[in-house]
Amino acid sequence: MPDQAPRSQGGPAVSQGTGRGPTASRRDFLRGSGIAAATAVVTGQAAAVLDEVQAAQEAEVAVLKGEVAVVLDVNGRKLECRVEPRTTLLDALRNRLDVTGPKRVCDRGSCGACTVILDGKPVNSCTTLAVTAQGCAIETVENFSTGPDGVPAAFVKNDALMCGYCTPGFVTAVKALLDVNPNPTLDEVKKALDGNICRCGTYVGIFQAALDAAKAKKGA
Amino acid sequence: MGWPEQPKVVGSRVPRVDGLGKASGRIKYPSDVRPEGMLFGAVLYSPHAHAVVKSIDTSAAEKLPGVVAVHLLTEPGKKVRFHGDDIAAVAAESEEIARDALAAIKVEYEVLPHAVTEAQAMAEDAPRVAGGPNYRPPRARTTGDPDAAFQQADAVVEATYSAPVITHVCLETHGLTAQFKDGKITVWASTQNVDGLPQQLAQTFNLPEADVRCYTEVMGGGFGSKFGPDSWGVAACELSRKAGGRPVKIFLDRAQEHLAAGNRPSVIGTIKIAGTKDGKITAMSADVYGTGGVAGGATVLIPYPDVYKGIPNIRVATGEVATHGGGARAMRAPRHPQSCILTESAIDDLAEALGIDPLELRLKNFAENDIVAGGVDRVPIYRDQVAIGAEAIGWKANYRPRSENRKAPGPIKRGIGMALHMWGGGGAPGKQVAVEINPDGSVTLKSATQDIGTGARTLFAIVGAEVFGLKPDQITALIGDSDYPPGQASGGSTTTPSMMPAALVAAQAARDEFFARIAPAYGGDPKAMRLADGQLFVHDEPIASWTDACRKLGMKGVAVTSSAGPQMGELSSNGVAGCQFATVAVDVETGIVKLEKIVAVQDSGLIVNRSTWDSQVYGGVIGGLNYALFEERVMDATTGRMLNPDMEMYKLAGPSDIPEIVIHAYDTPAMRARGVIGVGEPPTVSTAAAIGNAVSNAIGVRVPHFPMSPMNVLNALASIKGEA
Repeated sequence: MPDQAPRSQGGPAVSQGTGRGPTASRRDFLRGSGIAAATAVVTGQAAAVLDEVQAAQEAEVAVLKGEVAVVLDVNGRKLECRVEPRTTLLDALRNRLDVTGPKRVCDRGSCGACTVILDGKPVNSCTTLAVTAQGCAIETVENFSTGPDGVPAAFVKNDALMCGYCTPGFVTAVKALLDVNPNPTLDEVKKALDGNICRCGTYVGIFQAALDAAKAKKGA
Repeated sequence: MGWPEQPKVVGSRVPRVDGLGKASGRIKYPSDVRPEGMLFGAVLYSPHAHAVVKSIDTSAAEKLPGVVAVHLLTEPGKKVRFHGDDIAAVAAESEEIARDALAAIKVEYEVLPHAVTEAQAMAEDAPRVAGGPNYRPPRARTTGDPDAAFQQADAVVEATYSAPVITHVCLETHGLTAQFKDGKITVWASTQNVDGLPQQLAQTFNLPEADVRCYTEVMGGGFGSKFGPDSWGVAACELSRKAGGRPVKIFLDRAQEHLAAGNRPSVIGTIKIAGTKDGKITAMSADVYGTGGVAGGATVLIPYPDVYKGIPNIRVATGEVATHGGGARAMRAPRHPQSCILTESAIDDLAEALGIDPLELRLKNFAENDIVAGGVDRVPIYRDQVAIGAEAIGWKANYRPRSENRKAPGPIKRGIGMALHMWGGGGAPGKQVAVEINPDGSVTLKSATQDIGTGARTLFAIVGAEVFGLKPDQITALIGDSDYPPGQASGGSTTTPSMMPAALVAAQAARDEFFARIAPAYGGDPKAMRLADGQLFVHDEPIASWTDACRKLGMKGVAVTSSAGPQMGELSSNGVAGCQFATVAVDVETGIVKLEKIVAVQDSGLIVNRSTWDSQVYGGVIGGLNYALFEERVMDATTGRMLNPDMEMYKLAGPSDIPEIVIHAYDTPAMRARGVIGVGEPPTVSTAAAIGNAVSNAIGVRVPHFPMSPMNVLNALASIKGEA
């Protein structure tokens, strides 16, 4: 198996520290959110998190309990919902905001079906906490152009989908790739998509769709 | 009546009519729907492989704010028989609360000794999985005199080959959203059986079938594992009833999906095979078992495929072992991939022992004939297909005996392999399609079938377009609703061969009625009419556009519901061949196998949509290479638990694992004349066997155990005497 493409597993607050989201509540999050979520964070950015935990232990912090209201900037719209500290961005989108393009498949950052673009970068929304996504621009597959030059149309043209459940994640990963690399080689496409898994076996079409979408984007 | 001889749409490449809905994330899967007032359900399952449930205390869970209903799926005194077996289900205002409620349920178990591996289950004094013994030695079926033939042969090879249990890993997990209100049930189910699932629920709840309705607009993969509502679907209905009719959504989490939602049985087979110097296989014996956990389905077909049935002396004993593991379910070509591995590995090993090119050995041992539906003989088809595949993979240039490949300089060894397969893929009669032609020119075809990912909706549109001389996007195909006329479940590659004949017959009947209705406006002779290019032709003269002709219907459209009836046999058939080839590069220092190229040659009668047909064949090959290299359900003999119920330690191919794949449609006039045959399953059958043969050809020694993981490859290399 290849290494996974570098895709954030912990949301922006972990890597970018203060200034976004309720970082002061990190200690409570680590205490209360269960081992699975904590492990995901430690795996991704162990050192940064440990530093923050230490800082949090030294300071008196606000304790977050139950649900809190958050405002998420989804596809250019400010959407409000109530989430728990442990609620993932994916679950906030799907269960609370009816944004169901991103899919829940593995729920631990290994298949890419939940990929969204957060401040321009593809992230696994299943391992990003909703509270840390506040203040970020969240773009999901529903926001992409469905016109003939868009990534979704390239997938249809190349029959790069079968059951279609992994497709939003692949489409999003391709869009995120083309946003930073408008002219990728086949190897670059594969590398960028290595965080995504398709069970029906549509990879051959997906590679061609990515290359076609790059061409269409240039022509557009 | 038959398929048009020179079709305009059938057999071309038509983009999926629902493709953009899927690719834009806008179409709603059953796991996406959120009917008003919906509650979130979750299922508690056993952490033990074998235990008696002593007590279940749900009181704390029930008291949690936000918990609306709790339902037991077992009761004190009953046993759990595998890690993942059902205990209870809850419904709550949020998914987080539902999970908290599961954690608050106190279950007391008396843990019993377990048998989760085949070896544990076959040991003396093994704990019993069901009432009887875990393993009953199967009765051998014997043809000829294998023992005498083994004695007289020029070469005899005996080896034990195996492949582990693998799971379906449907990306949309099993589940449904249910509303049980006013004595009626509505479900939005991820199912491959829209027509049959309501019947099962109706029976469970003792309701008239008409009072259960199933919607499956699209669904996220089934591969043979999604035919029923399952215990958790029934639980969702119960919880909805308890919650006063609020809808309840239950979709399994990834772990339980691996544990409880089906798997492909393992296979462990000792094969003895013998032949003569001139390349005649004279005898074969097989002693085979496998486990389907608490369910059956582990027996195999030997020799495989049927084209080898001419081997004169055969003894086959194929049995099953019950283990404390989740029950097997049909998985993409059930029994065939395992059967293929056993025979096709043994044939390659015999070829090596005889010093004969394994491709030649195969050709020399085809039966006199291999007759399938319609009197079609598969033997010449196999010969053609093998020639095509050999050419595409470059067999002549690339094949060398194992002994030679092994001595190649450097740690990277290259090899080539092949294998043959077969499948049925015929349709079921009696499935109905309703066709409507409306005065505004719109056309709908509808039936209670579903798109499991094969593009069913588009196929209906293609057949409609063919008959009415329109474009596929001018046809509305309605599927995924159990209130539509009875359609086919997606199993055994039968959906297309069941539904397309019915669609053709119904559309032609609707067209004929249409002609009769509008004839007075266009010269009075319906027999002089035909439809093409969006126009009505009378005596081969274009006389009106489709929409203008439809206006002549007045207020009332044409509505016909029909099934293929006696025409079925002319419009569809059963029984396909196929072969696959692989080249690999194996690093003998790390044991890592890199696929270089795979060639798949496949017939399947009349191809309806070449675009989605290609996708199914590619998908079959990729499923097969997953089976060959990556997939394995790992059971821990000590704890009785599955060690990798996830998607990182349960390995699946990602983008960088995909080699060059060349597919060849064996699409001849004779094949087209057979009518429609399903293609979902055959192309996944022989991939693993072909790759296994290529790996063995590369490194000079058989890797007897799938997957061809670094560990299994290195173990095989270590078994070479003096080279460990």
